[in-house]
Amino acid sequence: MSNSPDPAPSEQVPPHKPLKARKVSFSWEGTPLHWVPGDPFTSHTINVLHLLLPAGERWFVHVYKQVLPYIRDERLRADVVGFIGQEAMHSQAHDEVLPHLRESGLDPTPYTAQVDWLFEKLLGDRFLLPGRRARRWWLMERVAVIAAIEHYTAFLGDWILNASELDRRGADPTMLDLLRWHGAEEVEHRSVAFDLFRHVDGGYRRRVRTWLTGLLAMFFLWQRGVRFFMANDPAPNLRKPTFRGFYVRGKRGLLPSTRAMARSVPRYLARDYHPSQEGSTEQAVAYLASSPAAVAADRGAA
Amino acid sequence: MPRPLTLALTAGAALLARRAVRRRIEGSPLWPLPALAEPVSGRPRSRALRLTVAAHQTVADGVVQLQLEGRELPSWAPGAHLDLVLPSGLVRQYSLCGDPADTSSYTVATRLVPDGRGGSREVHEELRAGMAVEVRGPRNRFPLAPAPAYVFVAGGIGITPILPMLRAVSAQPGLEWRLLYGGRSRASMPYLAEIEKLGAGDGRVTVVAEDEDGLPDLDALFAGVAADLPEGTAVHCCGPEALTAAVEARVPEGAVLRLERFAPGASTGGDRPFEVELRRSGRTLTVAADSTVLAAVRAELPDTAYSCEQGFCGTCQQRVLAGEVDHRDELLTDAERAESMLICVSRARRSPLVLDL
Repeated sequence: MSNSPDPAPSEQVPPHKPLKARKVSFSWEGTPLHWVPGDPFTSHTINVLHLLLPAGERWFVHVYKQVLPYIRDERLRADVVGFIGQEAMHSQAHDEVLPHLRESGLDPTPYTAQVDWLFEKLLGDRFLLPGRRARRWWLMERVAVIAAIEHYTAFLGDWILNASELDRRGADPTMLDLLRWHGAEEVEHRSVAFDLFRHVDGGYRRRVRTWLTGLLAMFFLWQRGVRFFMANDPAPNLRKPTFRGFYVRGKRGLLPSTRAMARSVPRYLARDYHPSQEGSTEQAVAYLASSPAAVAADRGAA
Repeated sequence: MPRPLTLALTAGAALLARRAVRRRIEGSPLWPLPALAEPVSGRPRSRALRLTVAAHQTVADGVVQLQLEGRELPSWAPGAHLDLVLPSGLVRQYSLCGDPADTSSYTVATRLVPDGRGGSREVHEELRAGMAVEVRGPRNRFPLAPAPAYVFVAGGIGITPILPMLRAVSAQPGLEWRLLYGGRSRASMPYLAEIEKLGAGDGRVTVVAEDEDGLPDLDALFAGVAADLPEGTAVHCCGPEALTAAVEARVPEGAVLRLERFAPGASTGGDRPFEVELRRSGRTLTVAADSTVLAAVRAELPDTAYSCEQGFCGTCQQRVLAGEVDHRDELLTDAERAESMLICVSRARRSPLVLDL
């Protein structure tokens, strides 16, 4: 295993479109807690996003603000600037769901306070070792973690854009629009984090290490998020969440399938991996052109 | 090859540990991560509310009063204002002038400024009863200062934040107060009847209409204040720049002064240039009338973070060390506004503005 950056991938890079944040807003009054009707498990498995993303994407922005001085490529810098704004809006949009969960009788604060601790303290700017080199190492490590997580979010974004089973089950349209607007922007900007990582560091050992850390952390946080929601849901007689429940819903198309995840996750480690190979920019752009929230945001900006 | 006894002991210990952890997690699913003492996520921000225009009526010459209806609206205190998002996307701030106890509607009033930035024209000519509008807030940057006695000075539509203050203060028996209310003509001054009733017969209210009485005599007002009212009297003034500046120059020693200026540009039709000091870099820059703090700062410090350049994403937030900020973003809370600003859209009311950069 060498620790040198890989050669540039050979496939065509799609034509460049500038990234920009969209000023969306959602109104949650009409959205039930179990927004996939009759399926609290699916609702809550996806609701975990609202627990992780406000703090997580705020942290992305915090880290990327510090990495700007290391960027020597103007186009990449413009992409990172657009990426930062999109992530900031994702964080805000999911954050606004939390008071609604509280009003619906499920206070997320015990959990989100821990996620806040994780991102603000454990993954904050203070590092175990003093000195410039250690600080830089820690910054690059976090940049690599973000690139790895963006591999997973691009997968999830692509999944939600194609999750027609949720529409068939009558899932809440506002929640679907939030998820698909977010998912589409994740697909739209899926290459930025990886390009940035390659630009400022790109070491393969670091890539493997952060891929694994990100995967374990997300698995750990996600499963406890689902357990937290199911245990504290005001509805009586909810079944305990199980892996089997997840697997079955994956097969039905209500959640990402275990098989597709098992295939997608390791692709990040391929020597010729580039995020542009995953998902479809056309589909993301097409959704953004029709998303009620994104359309309203464009009208407001015009 | 480890001995069977070692294997059995290790396996047993592992099983016990697993059971203990399981039981611990069942007792509290969130064990064992620590939590942030003051959580950041999920804090209620001033969320956008969709309200319905329940009434749109002319309450004085060129002044329209809007009643915006909703359900269980956030509470507010006298001096608070709303950000009103107009159908065109323009965002304008209007002081609340209704009853703070009413949680089902907000009342604001606005004067038509023919050569202004277009917000008041839209309120007057395009909003109609029954239409939906989005509002943010309420926020309060002009709260009533606790004091033994009060002096209020209002110029024209500047009466709007003062009116709820007057109602609150005059409802408390034994509290001394004075009001000077100036305007162009009596017909153009809203809420005149209610105000004259509040101060009926005891000389606490002075109404000055320019077309009948000329300009208000602030010197006489403050001479009277110094003679009659106790130390620590609070002076609250809202009106055009000329009025607030005149009041600022005359406030007696020992008085508490609270000012609410109309947004610069609301009546003059444009922004003014100002100076920004970057304290840590030791540089002072000029922000031109048609430029932004962000653009000026980026010319000096190219790695300054920003993104949307429209005041909603929050990336360009910077700490303000000194100066008076004209906040034009749609994101920051009052607490955040007290010590920071979004440099992509917000400006300074006057030079210099000092940033921690």
